[in-house]
Amino acid sequence: MGRRILQLVAYVLLAGCDLACATPLDVRVTDARGAPVADAVVTVVPQVASRESEALSQRAPRTHVIDQRNETFIPYVEVFRPGDSVIFRNSDRTRHHAYSFSSARQFDFVLGSGEDSPPMVLDKNGTIAVGCNIHDKMITFFYVTDAPWYAQSEKSGKARLDLPAGSYAIRVWHPLLPPSGHDEPRSIAVAADAPRDLAFSLQLMPDPRASMDRERVGY
Amino acid sequence: MATLMTHPIIRRTSPPQVVAVAPSRGSVRCGVVLASCLLMTSVALAEDISVRASADVRVTGGSGENSWTQGGFGKTRFGDGDAGTPFANAALSVHWQVTPAWSLSTDVRYQPHLGSALSLTEAFARYRPVSTGAWRWSVKLGEFFPPISLENDGIGWTSLWTLTPSAINTWIGEELRTFGAEARIEHRGEADTLSAGAALFGTKDPAGEILASRGWSLSDLVAGIGSRLREPDAYATSIGVAPPRRYDPFLEIDHRVGIYADAEWTSAQYGRLRALYYDNRADPSTYHPFGAGDDLFSWRTRFVSVGAQTQIDRLELIAQAMDGTTKVAPPGFASETHFSATYVLAGWNLGAWRPALRLDAFTTRQTPDFPPRMSEHGNALTFALNWRPREWLRLTGEALRIDSTRDARLSVGLAPRQVDTQIQLNARFLY
Repeated sequence: MGRRILQLVAYVLLAGCDLACATPLDVRVTDARGAPVADAVVTVVPQVASRESEALSQRAPRTHVIDQRNETFIPYVEVFRPGDSVIFRNSDRTRHHAYSFSSARQFDFVLGSGEDSPPMVLDKNGTIAVGCNIHDKMITFFYVTDAPWYAQSEKSGKARLDLPAGSYAIRVWHPLLPPSGHDEPRSIAVAADAPRDLAFSLQLMPDPRASMDRERVGY
Repeated sequence: MATLMTHPIIRRTSPPQVVAVAPSRGSVRCGVVLASCLLMTSVALAEDISVRASADVRVTGGSGENSWTQGGFGKTRFGDGDAGTPFANAALSVHWQVTPAWSLSTDVRYQPHLGSALSLTEAFARYRPVSTGAWRWSVKLGEFFPPISLENDGIGWTSLWTLTPSAINTWIGEELRTFGAEARIEHRGEADTLSAGAALFGTKDPAGEILASRGWSLSDLVAGIGSRLREPDAYATSIGVAPPRRYDPFLEIDHRVGIYADAEWTSAQYGRLRALYYDNRADPSTYHPFGAGDDLFSWRTRFVSVGAQTQIDRLELIAQAMDGTTKVAPPGFASETHFSATYVLAGWNLGAWRPALRLDAFTTRQTPDFPPRMSEHGNALTFALNWRPREWLRLTGEALRIDSTRDARLSVGLAPRQVDTQIQLNARFLY
């Protein structure tokens, strides 16, 4: 009993330190023209593992639901931790597939209207491109990472992370990075109570979703 | 005119009284179109159906010659006398995913100026087994477009950049359709996709006739089952036929099988390249009794087509080129028409606004060269400004200028060189 109380106190102190000691890091992701880039995944790994980072890496797995609606995977990019599960949900009236032959995970589900796939565990780090064999334009990307801190950029291109003081490797990934354009990590040092801004400019490939309007059928 | 009257192409016998269209055949094809509409309507109640439709309301202005759609040599859909005429177009695309592997697709267009206003422009079944590996294969059976166009990707085989497609894709819409089977294999890599296909087809023997008799044109008319193409009245007269002479571009005359083979490379980073070789393998000495004293001959048509598409920031560039020959050989005579065309289109993706500029160049050259020459050369400049204020609405203003030289115009008292202009304002409602 006494040990449990001690554990609880330690967690509370840790959580308190997370809140009190965290320093905001604002990341701004833009494309080559300076336009904001949404759906970029920012991951942060400490140069030396700490108690906080290990606690975050060992969070309990959870289940993510990926919707198929209006012949579109929603969301376009989803971040998973190893051990998390995914369920595909077909919210359309038409039949869909969800398949991938990415090296990180191969799978195939056929989903009738209104159906959910069984949960599938993603256990390895990596990127997984998921498509629909019926509707070739449908695509979503899973980014599986054990990095303790991560965030996704919003429409404004901004992503915020709250980090304890320390040295980190930070990297930004986006599905439209060309195969040759790797997301090389950048080193940063975060001091307590010294908020930082960091800008990333990405050279991205054309977004195929720009052509997915209702007028386009494809011949 | 006297020289044209003795022009030997197509003419097997020469009585002038002619019925241009065989009505019984037309009625049957209209029935096919209506039956398809009914089928699509009933099928639309089922699940796994994707229905897309567009309706155009358009005002046009044209100057220059009489349009070829009215029997002239004019290269635009609307010419002298058509100015200000409001009209409507419509297209319906239905895709039914019957099983994960089998699908059915149909396209129906409503459009004045091609004989029957309603035509079935595509109707095919596709078998594509589910593949979770890099390789994927498929087979298509039915009526469908050969994989040539890089600009016509919209509902009913329309362009998302302009109202009027290029000269190359205008001709594909008019006379080229696969009635047969196509097999395809794809390799889907992480960075790019390679695709190769081959097809066997029939019902293609008049393909090429319009390029010889009229030459190239630029219009958004797409022929289908039920459509008839009109040849220039002066041409009909020259072969001893009372105009208007309209023919079905999709006829099987010699019962020989045509072929095409194509390859495509698609890269998310760089764009796509496409190449196709086409040979309808028609026997140019065979003919279809077309009416009293008029026979529609087969045209042996072969060509190579290449195309490229890329995107640089907001600028999309599309280029296509085509080079080939079409040959006809009535008894005691043979004529070959060499044809080539190319275009470059630059389109800007500026969100709701999408301006586009396209430059076309085209030639035909007939051998042997009878006076007045049936050969031609020309170029076209198209500017279109598209605005999508709503997802369901596309407003387009388009200006088209075609500068062409064709000696056959002498037969109707026109100078060989003509400049045709056409202005169109269009509202396209999308479903």
